[in-house]
Amino acid sequence: MRALLRRVHPEQIRELTLVAIIVMVVAFFATQIPDYLSGQVFGRVGASVAVVAVVAVGQTLVVLTRNIDLSVGSIVGLVAYGVGTLLVRDPTLSPPLAIAISILVGAALGSVNGILVAYGRVPAIVTTLGTLAIYRVALVELSGAKTVTTDALPQWLLTIPQMSLFTIGQLDVQPLVVLAIAIAIVFQLGLRYLRFGRRLFAIGSNPDAARVEGLPIQRDIFAAFVLSGALSGLAGFMFLVRFGNITVTAGQGLELQAVAAVVVGGVNIFGGVGSAIGALLGATLVDLLQQSLIRWLGISEFARDAGLGLLILIAVAADKVILGRVRTLSIRARRETAELAAGQEVISGT
Amino acid sequence: MGSTHDATGSIRSSAPLMEIRGISKRYGSIQALQDVALALHAGEVHALVGENGAGKSTLIKIMTGVVSPDAGTLSMDGQPVRIGSALDGQRLGIAAIYQEPMIFPDLSVAENIFVGRRDLGLIVDRRKMREQAEAIIGRLGIQIDVSEPARGLTLAEQQTVEIAKALSMRLRVLIMDEPTASLSDREVRRLFAIVESLRREGVAILYISHRMEEVFQISDRVTIMRDGHVISTRPTAEVTLTAAIRDMVGRPLDQLFVRTPSVPGEVLLEVRALGREGAFSAISFQVRAGEVLALSGLVGARRTDVGLALFGIAPADTGEILLDGHPVRIGNPQDALRAGIAYTTEDRRQLGIVFPLSIAANISLPTLHRFLNAIGLVDRDREGAVAEEYRARLKIRAPSVATPLSSLSGGNQQKVVLSKWMNTRPRVLILDEPTRGIDVGSKAEVHQIIDELAREGLAIILISSELPEVLATADRILVMREGRQMGTFDRSEASAELLLGAAMGQALAPAQGQTS
Repeated sequence: MRALLRRVHPEQIRELTLVAIIVMVVAFFATQIPDYLSGQVFGRVGASVAVVAVVAVGQTLVVLTRNIDLSVGSIVGLVAYGVGTLLVRDPTLSPPLAIAISILVGAALGSVNGILVAYGRVPAIVTTLGTLAIYRVALVELSGAKTVTTDALPQWLLTIPQMSLFTIGQLDVQPLVVLAIAIAIVFQLGLRYLRFGRRLFAIGSNPDAARVEGLPIQRDIFAAFVLSGALSGLAGFMFLVRFGNITVTAGQGLELQAVAAVVVGGVNIFGGVGSAIGALLGATLVDLLQQSLIRWLGISEFARDAGLGLLILIAVAADKVILGRVRTLSIRARRETAELAAGQEVISGT
Repeated sequence: MGSTHDATGSIRSSAPLMEIRGISKRYGSIQALQDVALALHAGEVHALVGENGAGKSTLIKIMTGVVSPDAGTLSMDGQPVRIGSALDGQRLGIAAIYQEPMIFPDLSVAENIFVGRRDLGLIVDRRKMREQAEAIIGRLGIQIDVSEPARGLTLAEQQTVEIAKALSMRLRVLIMDEPTASLSDREVRRLFAIVESLRREGVAILYISHRMEEVFQISDRVTIMRDGHVISTRPTAEVTLTAAIRDMVGRPLDQLFVRTPSVPGEVLLEVRALGREGAFSAISFQVRAGEVLALSGLVGARRTDVGLALFGIAPADTGEILLDGHPVRIGNPQDALRAGIAYTTEDRRQLGIVFPLSIAANISLPTLHRFLNAIGLVDRDREGAVAEEYRARLKIRAPSVATPLSSLSGGNQQKVVLSKWMNTRPRVLILDEPTRGIDVGSKAEVHQIIDELAREGLAIILISSELPEVLATADRILVMREGRQMGTFDRSEASAELLLGAAMGQALAPAQGQTS
């Protein structure tokens, strides 16, 4: 046990536990819901998870720096509607250009958050609560309460959810799922191997030390918000692909899902700890539970939100109690080994 | 030109590595630094001493680029330099190590060493980083796994990581601000060995400490500051302790405070075979009204854990606590306060005070119920009046009791902490390292306060790592080592050698380190 604790980091235990819980949840619902393991259900849950996961990866970058981005749901909605409208007006718009516009608009909206938080020193929760409302109102104004409908959209967009990049058994793996996984992996590598990634951890871990160290704190926090916006923009495009029909409430409540996903995925809400893969797993668990509960019990959307809130609370509490305990044990195991070594040093030295 | 007129202090004819001239800095109405000059030579340990508030911290901030001066020049190798940011300081090879190390707990040791570097490109070569970190850490003679997160390192290890960080760059000037305040003797020795080897490599070291014996041991020259001025710079060999203290306080001071002899009263607090799993065991003592009992020992002796148990923060799981001869259960701080036990923490900055709040609000915090008026609101006049009493009595130096704690010096903050707990009207007062990190003048005043409180009939438990303080202030001294009671001595029979001997116990018997 002691040897194990020294080798495995508490954060890794967290990710393995999440995988185990996801498997258990799937196994449980498979016995409760007929045809649960069918390709159709997988496709639907997969598309939904993919959108949440991409937003959650962006949220991770922000939360690592001890900030939060509550405007993500509104950005998703605004981009989904805006790009949807563009495609309705000009169906010849090329797919790469549509995606690029989604990302750029998202980044621009995120940069507003970034400027206010990093350079204006307005607390993130205040800033992004404000832009959450402003971006949503912008969407309402822009749309004139009209809806983007499926039949007006170009055909290529609508076929994406039906596409299958490859199949595992009888499960078709669709582009959205592959995209979400690819994004999680790319950002995971970036957080681990880019100097910028390490600085995000440092800033959230000890802001005072980051200042004394001379880290470019403002620039990095700004960049985190821009990336969160850009990923939300991409998620907005994915949202459009998934639903086709875009109303003014598109993406509403997604911020709650994204925060739940990162917290459940082991990203410390006080910064400094977390991973993109954790966020992906967190998004999977959160959305899987939601989708499955709806099928199983036919629960309402309000009850679903309450369930989400409960999940956040459980995750934070479990984090504090269990992870704190594991961490203490792990530190103690290392300490005892060090003392043992020091003791031997003393024996051999005298 | 240059430093030739600096005849008082120069021990070498070579030009200084770093020179500071005519530096002034003003914060609002306070002149923090006035025309300060200082020259650091390569291969020299230059001690900087002075009371808290003398301007040492401001000077460090200016030297590292955290704060910019109002006037004056800095130069390196005779060339004027501008240090406008922490980054500039790093480029010039100036590094600082603080009493509370500035580490990133969630990053690995290796990442801590290299995270601030700009010259290593965009992508981290994790293997190379680990190897380099291992090489530097190995050179400093400590054994830590550089890929482990820094969370959980001891203070000494954290400091070593900071030194490693400085060494990973081209280090020319190392500023050490109270580096030994929280270290055990063994750790201090290791740190000094590192300082010695850096000196031999030609690094200029500015060493700031309140511990004069360290200054005498390690430094080549001593600069004394008071009220933002440099009072003197002299070779250490020409400085005596009395002279240094006189320069620091600007007034003659009884170097060693002597406690007023008193006749202790009844036994107030008795502890029988107290223990807590994994911390300490079989601790027994009595404290009488009007008596000061010191808990002495080296770092890791678990004295603070005994204090925390008596105050109910980490309650004991075996043994008995008796007040006036009756057993009491102390399961949390509320129990302790009800029983008349108060505790001032050693970690003042983290746990002792609320920084943005005023002196008055800090003092009234644990006793707010006594300050409520008829409709249940806080009576601010009464709160202010009580705070004013303490300000006068304890000589808290602040413009008014509405001053936020964050703008007071460490010594004055500590007096506010004392006021706060005195105002709970305790019968037993536990003081955990009450003079840590505060200046000589405030220290003497805190000792004076302890003496007065004892005369008023309080039972006082003083937890202190400084032997002179223990010997001067306590009536009886209980020595602990690794959670065990090594002995209790009367002041008349105690000596520094005796206490230290007991504290070190069979210091070199390694088998004992592994119990629990």
